[in-house]
Amino acid sequence: MSVLYEIVAGLGIPNFGVLIPEIIILLTAFVVFGIELFTKSRFWITTATTVGLLLAAFVSTQIETGDITFYGLYIVDTFSLTFKTFLILTTLFVVAILRPYLEAKNTYYGEYYYLILFSLLGMMIMVSSASLITFYVGIELASISIYILAGMFKRDYLSKEGAFKYLIIGGTGTALISYGIALIYGKTGSFDFRAIAETFVENNLDVGAIGGLIILIIGLALKASSVPFHFWTPDAYQGAPTPITAFMAVAAKIATFAVILRVMVEAFPFAFETWNLAWALLAAASMIVGNFVALRQDNVKRMLAYSSIAHSGYILAALAAPTEIAFTALVFYSIVYIFMGLGGFIFLSMMERQYGWRDSHINDFKGLAQRSPLVALLMLIYMFSMLGIPPTVGFFGKLGVFVALIGSDIWWLAVVLVVMSIVSAGYYLRVVIYMYMYEPTTKAKVNYTFGEIATLILMAGFILYLGIYSTDFWEISRIVVEMLMQSIGG
Amino acid sequence: MTVEFINATFPLITITILIPIVAAGILFFMSEKHAKPVSIITSLVVFVITTYMLFVYDYNTYAIQFYEKYTWIPFLGISYEVGVDALSLTMVWLTAVSFLVAFIWSTNIEKRIKEYFIAFLILEAACIGVFVSWDMVWFYIFWEAMLIPMFLIIGVWGYAERIYAATKFFIYTFFGSLFLLIGVIGMYIYQYVEKGVLSTSYFDLVNLGLPFKLEIIFFLLLALGFAIKVPMWPFHTWLPAAHVQAPTAGSVILAAVLLKMGTYGFVRFSLPWFPEASKYFVPVMFTLGVIAIIYTAMMAIAQTHIKRLIAYSSVSHMGFVTIGTFALNMEGMNGAIITMLSHGFTSAALFLAAGFIYERVHSYDIKDLGGLARFMPVFATLFMISAMASAGLPGLSGFVGEFLALYGTFKVSVLTAVLAGLSLVVGAGYTLWLYHKAMFKESELPPEKIEKWEKLKDMNTVELLSFLPLVIMMFVIGLYPKWWIELIQTTSAAILSKFIGG
Repeated sequence: MSVLYEIVAGLGIPNFGVLIPEIIILLTAFVVFGIELFTKSRFWITTATTVGLLLAAFVSTQIETGDITFYGLYIVDTFSLTFKTFLILTTLFVVAILRPYLEAKNTYYGEYYYLILFSLLGMMIMVSSASLITFYVGIELASISIYILAGMFKRDYLSKEGAFKYLIIGGTGTALISYGIALIYGKTGSFDFRAIAETFVENNLDVGAIGGLIILIIGLALKASSVPFHFWTPDAYQGAPTPITAFMAVAAKIATFAVILRVMVEAFPFAFETWNLAWALLAAASMIVGNFVALRQDNVKRMLAYSSIAHSGYILAALAAPTEIAFTALVFYSIVYIFMGLGGFIFLSMMERQYGWRDSHINDFKGLAQRSPLVALLMLIYMFSMLGIPPTVGFFGKLGVFVALIGSDIWWLAVVLVVMSIVSAGYYLRVVIYMYMYEPTTKAKVNYTFGEIATLILMAGFILYLGIYSTDFWEISRIVVEMLMQSIGG
Repeated sequence: MTVEFINATFPLITITILIPIVAAGILFFMSEKHAKPVSIITSLVVFVITTYMLFVYDYNTYAIQFYEKYTWIPFLGISYEVGVDALSLTMVWLTAVSFLVAFIWSTNIEKRIKEYFIAFLILEAACIGVFVSWDMVWFYIFWEAMLIPMFLIIGVWGYAERIYAATKFFIYTFFGSLFLLIGVIGMYIYQYVEKGVLSTSYFDLVNLGLPFKLEIIFFLLLALGFAIKVPMWPFHTWLPAAHVQAPTAGSVILAAVLLKMGTYGFVRFSLPWFPEASKYFVPVMFTLGVIAIIYTAMMAIAQTHIKRLIAYSSVSHMGFVTIGTFALNMEGMNGAIITMLSHGFTSAALFLAAGFIYERVHSYDIKDLGGLARFMPVFATLFMISAMASAGLPGLSGFVGEFLALYGTFKVSVLTAVLAGLSLVVGAGYTLWLYHKAMFKESELPPEKIEKWEKLKDMNTVELLSFLPLVIMMFVIGLYPKWWIELIQTTSAAILSKFIGG
């Protein structure tokens, strides 16, 4: 036994035990690909995907001891496991509502499933990266799959336009990231986060190193659709099939926030003054532009796209303060944003099927409360949660960021956050007004499948439950951040 | 300020908050015809519980009674903490009465009944929650949560311009409360930095001992939130719009309960938390109070819309509460609290009267009315009592509170008291004028109106029932104020302990 162990250790075979979730997702993707290729059985595609995701989610909650594997390139810790679990669950919800949408639209089928799975795999690699190389590979795998997904309605002009824009701008972002990585490598001679952290110390930096960091931040901001690098977002979100929009707006965003936090905290802990300021400016710009532009939108899908930009601002604002509570607030807000974001976009996906694939114009919402009270109530909950009115969890998300900002004496950003929250009332309330205060123009009720309504109710339930009792989620976020900070020694 | 607590043996307050929420939840799945009985029974239960608390409450010493505290989010130092002192209890009881009245009155609602009652039940829970919470995060949760149902009530069941009014109401109040939030979180952080205590409890924040400059800043932040809610001049512009457009029961709750939250905030938070800043800002508050009293009373005279007139008169009455509060003596404080209570009854009754008239005549315009007293004597009597109570006739509730508030102010600033007192005349003026135009002037009635008026029915049982508790309370407070003043005496002393000692 010991000889075998010696050989294994000598060859350095990675610890596959902690990689089981990723392996499951990868295998599922191939299985789905195979089914699509040979049988095209829709039932089996959906089932295989769901089972794979459930299995992966289950396994990722069972892993208790983390490890750094793949020769120090890949880290499995509480941070990555938590985010992986939530990413898998998010994907599961998207998959749950995908089938009725695709069948009603009469478009491709299997492609969606395995591309989503590949993209999910990319995101899992992102949040687990311990080095800039892994991080780059993850981000590319996730993005490229999403470029294709966004353009899946190939007969639809908007879908093509959005996907193409996303491809071009996203490609630029990736190029920037790789250039930033090159500069940082030039300074520190390493891709490894810890090795970078040791050399990358504030008073020891030259133009190249700072430039590398800034370029890296810009690339990441582009992926997180932060203003002024947000131009792809509205078009890509609007053009993409709506369940895919939900996937982009929630899963991809959450993974990006997680990876931003990880890279900033683990690789550049001693250059925090630079990235604090950079993220503060980006966050302020996102909040201001996102909210003001959203005010003018009549298309609810586009409005939610801008709202998602604004939310990027709220979440990234936490990075303006280099404190434990700020990171905790970021993790908390990212996780709870899943419920609001998924709720909003899944709702739109349901509405869109209803109204013959027109744009989700706000007029379609007229009198919804009288036609389908339950559905309208759910949308009301999402809207007030995004607005941040208690007793919804959106309030606690903003409260955490707010406490962190004031705690670090960054009053200006706190005031921007507050004022922009008030501005955002303008468009979130508008949806509620159209649903509740206008008379309906048709009598048609909203048809929904069981999967859709169950997902929507679950999301609203989580929003309200966490709005009253968010203790556990704060505890999770706190532990996650504690572990993250431990790895850099405080 | 050290405070004693009497723990609740039975979580009475939590149950009071939960009952309406549970009822609303059940109602969502029930058929429409159950909405009215379920809501009325619910509000009756809440009313009985709060009345029971009123009688059990021990007013000899100051202590937070029926006190419950549970840890909630330890990471941020947030607990669930509820309890009442006499001020809270007064307000909770007023809330319970107002909602009972509003529910009884709402039996004539015909549009989207189920949603209407659900919105009101949620609103009731949130309103009670605001007055009993001692943890600032919970206070804020209830304070904000209340916006959602009120927004829907104005926006769905209101009149022509309802959406504009609802949005204005929402954004105005949301704006104010976010500044309130900044202030509270600022204090919370200050507490953590200076004392190392991570807590959002009122009782920790009250003993913070802030430096004067910070006190001023936090006072202003909180005052902005409260002033919009009161509303104080010049932040009052949302109120007439909201009142005019809101349905009758919505106006009743808005006037009787929601406006009190602002003045409650001043009494509860601003004074004990920022004693130095409060003293410093007395002239400002007096000025704003007097402007509110006089200016809005003048505005009220110029109105031809009944509800708008009553709305302006509300702002004017709230001015008395402001100056009474910032007189910083016992008389003023008692006066302010009694005015809050009394205004709850009178304004609710006046809005009910306006709704009553609208249902009969289908107009809120004073010039469309006239001579109604001859055709509906019972209503005319009750309307008269409410109007007189509002104008401050001795023997009715309005007089007691305003007299005490003026007396307290007189001891501090004669000029303020005189100016505010003069406006009582104006107040009597517009109330009498409204009453005269709407109810008398029979001789000027054209014949077709008489013909129309003759078909009108006087009050039915439901309307009488909803008027009665309010009118009874006007007499109780007006004729025997001692009882209620004794109840709030220790509380006023405790609130003012940083100003007058003891």
